[in-house]
Amino acid sequence: MVAALYAVFLYVPTERQMGLVQRIFYFHVSSAICSLVAFSLVFVASIQYLRRREERWDRLAVASAELGVIFALIVLITGPLWARPIWGVFWRWEPRLTFMLITFLMYVAYLMVRAYAAGSVEQTRRFAAVLGIVAFVNVPLVHFSVNLWSADQQLHPQKVELAPEMVVARYVSLVAVGSLFLFLLKRRMELELASQTLNRIRQKLDDERGDDGP
Amino acid sequence: MIKGVVTILWKDLLVEWRSRERLGPMVVFVFLIILVFNFSFALGGSALHEIGAGVLWSAFVFAGLIGLNHTFAAELDNNCLDALMLAPVSHSSLYLAKMLGNLLFLLVVELLSLPFFSLFFNLSPGLYLVPLVAVLTLGAACLASVGTLFAAMSSNSRLREFLLPLLVLPMIYPALIWAVKATAIVFEHSRPSATGALATAAFWPGSLTEPVSFLLVYSIVFTTLALMLFDQVLED
Repeated sequence: MVAALYAVFLYVPTERQMGLVQRIFYFHVSSAICSLVAFSLVFVASIQYLRRREERWDRLAVASAELGVIFALIVLITGPLWARPIWGVFWRWEPRLTFMLITFLMYVAYLMVRAYAAGSVEQTRRFAAVLGIVAFVNVPLVHFSVNLWSADQQLHPQKVELAPEMVVARYVSLVAVGSLFLFLLKRRMELELASQTLNRIRQKLDDERGDDGP
Repeated sequence: MIKGVVTILWKDLLVEWRSRERLGPMVVFVFLIILVFNFSFALGGSALHEIGAGVLWSAFVFAGLIGLNHTFAAELDNNCLDALMLAPVSHSSLYLAKMLGNLLFLLVVELLSLPFFSLFFNLSPGLYLVPLVAVLTLGAACLASVGTLFAAMSSNSRLREFLLPLLVLPMIYPALIWAVKATAIVFEHSRPSATGALATAAFWPGSLTEPVSFLLVYSIVFTTLALMLFDQVLED
């Protein structure tokens, strides 16, 4: 992470046209990649959970869904910050922006299902897994639709030529953001495990107390 | 399987026929939403070609959400849902019946609200109604395919009715984009041509094929997916 900060702020030459703001690019792009990886993990974990009914797959799903939403949020925040000086506006209904926004909203809905479930824990997990699968299937459809819907507004460069130092910084920050993602994912899964264990202990205590009680 | 689907569908239609709990409120709601748009944008007669399609679909989506909420919420009274699950039909047939029911209700609502929509937007009837109904059917199928699956989920949440729009709306956006686009194309061709002759182009404009096939793909993909996953949603 420190190496990435060094690379982004000191090592890389300032981009000629866009100036300092361009440095946000390194985190913007890396976060976008991480969020999409996270959503794919939700998809895989959801399928595995429905097939095997093992809690660890559910832990992976919930952890990556949360992180995916957070990284998507980072993209959606750094994007406008960068767009304001470069495009002159915070927001345009440009394909990639629309795509990221809709995807983000789908996974916010995923977290909502988990947060406001009324049934058993097991049922909540199944619901979430179903949504994790359906939402991911929708991702390419959203991508396809918004691309044709506003193709005339394409503002993201389709192909970029980077100076060699920039390429280095790009991969360093990708590795840095990627490892941050993996680290957080691991911690989040441990947290989920701990809270599951805690709930189980509480449940057990309640049961025992219920037996002794009046 | 088909027999089960038909039985459940028939039961739902009969319930609706006797109670009229869904269609009436939905049609009135569409009417009110169209008025909301009318007052918030001070629409004139020429508005049809600019935002008519958008207004129509916004109204349908919101009314559709109300109807979808009813799909399983209505079965919670007297534990009807448990009885349905005990019935000797597969969960897939239950989904299919509910989905077809929703599709049918949406379609009836759409057809019933078309007259006053055309009245407000000065749309005179013509051959364009054929592709319009095709687009409305497919759009309704998209909404019903995703909506029925999520209605089963939201009827089991603490937020109840409130959760459904949160789930359905982001999921339906791609279909909405295409439904609005297709409807706009249809409206564009609704004007009688200068020569007065109804060319085949007015009947089925070539540009309509792409949006319509997308809607078809969308509804098929999500109906199939829902059929595969519905067991997981219902199981206790």
